Amino acid sequence: MAALREEEFAALQSLLKAPSKDAVRQLCQECFSSPPAALRPLAQRACPGLAADPEEAEQLVSALHNLTRHVVYRGLTRAEDILSLFPENFHQNLKNLLTKIILENISAWRNEAQASQISLPRLVDMDWRVDIKTSSDSIIRMAVPTCLLQLKIQEDAALCGNNPVVSALTVELSKETLDTMLEGLGRIRDQLSAVANK
Amino acid sequence: MGLLNFTRDPVPEAVSGDMHNLNQLSAQQFSELTEVLFRFLTEPKEVERFLAQLSDFATMNKISLGPLKNIVKSILLVPNGALKRNLSSEQVKADFIALGLSEEKASYFAEQWKVNSPTLTRLAVGQTLMINQLIDMEWKFGVTAGSSELEKVGSIFLQLKLVIKKGSQLENVYVELTLPQFYSFLHEMERVKTSLESFS
Repeated sequence: MAALREEEFAALQSLLKAPSKDAVRQLCQECFSSPPAALRPLAQRACPGLAADPEEAEQLVSALHNLTRHVVYRGLTRAEDILSLFPENFHQNLKNLLTKIILENISAWRNEAQASQISLPRLVDMDWRVDIKTSSDSIIRMAVPTCLLQLKIQEDAALCGNNPVVSALTVELSKETLDTMLEGLGRIRDQLSAVANK
Repeated sequence: MGLLNFTRDPVPEAVSGDMHNLNQLSAQQFSELTEVLFRFLTEPKEVERFLAQLSDFATMNKISLGPLKNIVKSILLVPNGALKRNLSSEQVKADFIALGLSEEKASYFAEQWKVNSPTLTRLAVGQTLMINQLIDMEWKFGVTAGSSELEKVGSIFLQLKLVIKKGSQLENVYVELTLPQFYSFLHEMERVKTSLESFS
């Protein structure tokens, strides 16, 4: 499967008009990070100097987005693999520059892709405190320790865009519940070690 | 009547009459009735069983059920108050005597109180208010093989389902953790355990 269509590689040549290598670098990063829906506004914003008209800007931005995403998807890490994506007649210096920029960013981009992948709500933070219950309506005087656990949970990043919703859930555990939970967590740890040692 | 240990409120008038009636029971009958009462106190959900056993007791000893229920209501005032206030068996005995129960029966009841109070205390603590109590935890872990952004991933994920009691309803909360988060969570929970143990 080819990374890009012929027209898309052609669109990339607009980058030759870029003012500097850093401008190209910046644009690559923005194109990778942008979701497909946000490419048009990005094109309008980022490419006034590079493209003759809005349509050309959009094609450039779209091509760069597809190229960077393809490299990350395939997990390409070697220069040769990236270089070989380009057609034979592609501008040599531009090809080398793009390859270099991609290689610089590949592991950050991979992490970004993994961090934004769909998942159940994620744990982002956890705090706890231990209270001693000294009195209640069922017993006027007692000294019962109990644990309050606060979990900060972030909803699926993909659904929330740039404003992830983080909710805090406070849960109370008695000593018995905590012991049972630790037993369960211990079993998870043992199973994880068994899998890791295979 | 002097100051009672199990309550600060005035005791209903009927109580002394009920204690007088209790005194008429033989030691054997009193012992059986006490057993029925403590069986109910240690298993407060078994209301039907309690009422059935009371009914049997009434029939076997030729006592009317109505008056028996009133007597039982009066007796139960003491253990309920004693539980709230962590009373000792001597205090329970003193209160029964102050209410008019014979020394022999008061002693006997106080003895049974001593035997049962650890269980009863644990029950009362269990009934104490808990906010969003954690009832259950289920988990699974696996490997993410690929995604729409990354053809090959190979990362481990851990998913927890926490069952939480919110008021009278149960709510399920689903959370995903990465491996480092899991180890950190485990470590923190072990610290909580140490802390709880030092206060027990």
